[in-house]
Amino acid sequence: MDFTLDSHQEAVLEAVRTLLSRHGGPARLHDLGGDEPGYDHDLDKRLAEAGFLDIAEPRSACRLDAALVLETLSGALASSAAGWRLLVLPTLDVDVEGPVALVAESHSGPARFAADADALVVIGDDRVRLVRPDRRIPRVRSRLGWPVGEVSGLPEGGVIDEAPAAEVRAWARVALATEMVGAMQFALDITVRHVSDRRQFDRAIGSFQAVQHGLAECSVAVEGARWLALEAAFTGAASTAAAALTQASEASKLIFRRTHQYHGAMGFTREYDLHLSTLRLLALRSEAESLGRPAAACAHEHWGI
Amino acid sequence: MEFDWTEEDLSYRSELRDFLAEELPGRWEGATAVLGSADNAEYSRRFAGLLAEKGWLTPHWPTEWGGTGATPWMLAVLGEELWSRGEPRGPQYMNVNWIGPSIMAHGTPEQCQRYLPPIAAGDVIWCQGFSEPEAGTDLASLRTRAVLDGDDYVVNGSKIWTSYGDIADHCYLLVRTDAQAERHLGISVLLMAMDSPGLVVRPIPGMVGEHSFTELFLTDVRIPVANRLGPENEGWSVVREALSFERVGAPRWARAAHVLDETVRDAMEQGRSIDPVTVEAVGVAKTACEAARMLCYRVIDERARDLPPSPHANVARVAMVQAERLVADACAALQGNEIMRYGSDSDLQMRKSLAAGVAAGTYEVQLNLVSRRHLRLPKN
Ligand SMILES: Cc1cc2nc3c(=O)[nH]c(=O)nc-3n(C[C@H](O)[C@H](O)[C@H](O)COP(=O)(O)OP(=O)(O)OC[C@H]3O[C@@H](n4cnc5c(N)ncnc54)[C@H](O)[C@@H]3O)c2cc1C
Repeated sequence: MDFTLDSHQEAVLEAVRTLLSRHGGPARLHDLGGDEPGYDHDLDKRLAEAGFLDIAEPRSACRLDAALVLETLSGALASSAAGWRLLVLPTLDVDVEGPVALVAESHSGPARFAADADALVVIGDDRVRLVRPDRRIPRVRSRLGWPVGEVSGLPEGGVIDEAPAAEVRAWARVALATEMVGAMQFALDITVRHVSDRRQFDRAIGSFQAVQHGLAECSVAVEGARWLALEAAFTGAASTAAAALTQASEASKLIFRRTHQYHGAMGFTREYDLHLSTLRLLALRSEAESLGRPAAACAHEHWGI
Repeated sequence: MEFDWTEEDLSYRSELRDFLAEELPGRWEGATAVLGSADNAEYSRRFAGLLAEKGWLTPHWPTEWGGTGATPWMLAVLGEELWSRGEPRGPQYMNVNWIGPSIMAHGTPEQCQRYLPPIAAGDVIWCQGFSEPEAGTDLASLRTRAVLDGDDYVVNGSKIWTSYGDIADHCYLLVRTDAQAERHLGISVLLMAMDSPGLVVRPIPGMVGEHSFTELFLTDVRIPVANRLGPENEGWSVVREALSFERVGAPRWARAAHVLDETVRDAMEQGRSIDPVTVEAVGVAKTACEAARMLCYRVIDERARDLPPSPHANVARVAMVQAERLVADACAALQGNEIMRYGSDSDLQMRKSLAAGVAAGTYEVQLNLVSRRHLRLPKN
């Protein structure tokens, strides 16, 4: 057990952060359209050139470094489908150049990245397909901080031999949990800063115990999600993946309500960054649910119920 | 960063499990006891004696005092395995986790000679005399007064909620030795024999276990100066240091996870159908135990690196209390009307979860510490 970054991990994350400071971050998301952003192809290109998108070996059991990169990307509000590439594609070992989207077989309706994707990973009960749509999937107007497409009537075929659906679903859960952790930490940090600066009744509002306790519980919830997600990325265990996503989903509800609440009206303004992270959580949670209720999956993985 | 157990830790765990499977076959009935209850205290003497023979009672102590040089990770494994079996060490987990180490750190050679071997042998019970009627969360306001008279302190006052007070041999007692000084600076630790004249112990019937806790009344109790632990008036820092790692010393999450596991398995064995809402509650509770586990591991990792205590311990404590509560909710949902049966899993877990947020530092105090030390939110 070692809860600290080793020197290699440290160096990778430092390089990713440097890249993001120039080509990512909330300012970049604002440029791309804010809560209604376009896909950041430029960022993907730079990440790919630097080798950050295929950091996990194909079929590798341990994808911890990839998860650390993803958490960093998500914490900088990247408008990118790097999560699926970093954590899910290594299970499939397929060749896709551009962005990928990921949906459950039964899914129709909005899905992140679908309109920008070169291919969709479609997870069924016991098979996984890689669908390359013959025409562009239409965009959906969405204001949750992600580029979204409208999935319906996907073509048949594209079954990937020897791709275990359960394993792919587990890695999708790790990816979603990790992305949630990045976005939640962003929201929490900006809120801690806000309540430390903002004064009412001649004191920082962050000195009120009601606010302190509310944020302390948020922080405990996010920390729990982070370490479970990292452990799941390390072991690849389906049970830990389900627990990580359950913890992240539950935490995201607290984070969403409380970070907005403690911002007062400021949290509503579009030029302020808070909503860019919090709204994203709603989309992530809905994708989590579309893979099967996380808490039920956790109970199922542990006891078969 | 990596989350593997070493071969050594794995084989230690499996050795422990084999031992426990033999020693506590099936469901050990003592596992129903609640922290602070004296129900199993007598059993604990026998059990701790067995552990001592195997070198597993105080493995993390220096060899000089009966230790085997176990790492903090091995100690964590030991705690997990024992807590998930209902903590058969009973009150003695306190002795080995913090009372003994505190005596080692601050005791005179005579005190070490006198107190440590019985702890390491597993046949002594200590209680902790901190809380008073007027001093709960605000412990530093304690008033039990110790006045120097020759070679003794003469102690007057009272302690309350003292677990094991009726069966303990010794008490780790906090007293005020300087009434004038700033309140944190006038406190000392005294090691008191529980058969001292002038000490009256009265049980307080409680809702956690048959014997819950006690009240101690001290009237002119004479405690030799030689029994003072550490310098006079420096008791506050002595006890803070002693308890700094204790927040994760009791891996409550492991016991909660075990209770949840047994309750789910019972429901499955009895062929009861588990409705989707209950399945969700079970998944959320299991998750909370898992999150608490990782947050405790982070603290153990810091301890293994010899880092100073950090607010991550408070984060872990909050997560453990939440896990106990969510497991209580899940067990209640799983067992339905069984909660009316005294001693059912759901009944017991409800009681344990209530104690979790109060005993050994309240939930709110942990949140205060997380917000100030971890989030660095401003003070008023
Ligand atoms: C099962 C059990 C076993 C125990 N065993 C022992 C023992 O062996 N030895 C011993 O000395 N004590 C023992 N205790 C006592 C325990 O340490 C105290 O109950 C605890 O410190 C809280 O003190 P209190 O009960 O006086 O509550 P109070 O201090 O009156 O607190 C009541 C409520 O007010 C809240 N509160 C208080 N101050 C603040 C604040 N600053 N900010 C926010 N909220 C606040 C608390 O969080 C709590 O919710 C035991 C308690 C239990 C339940």
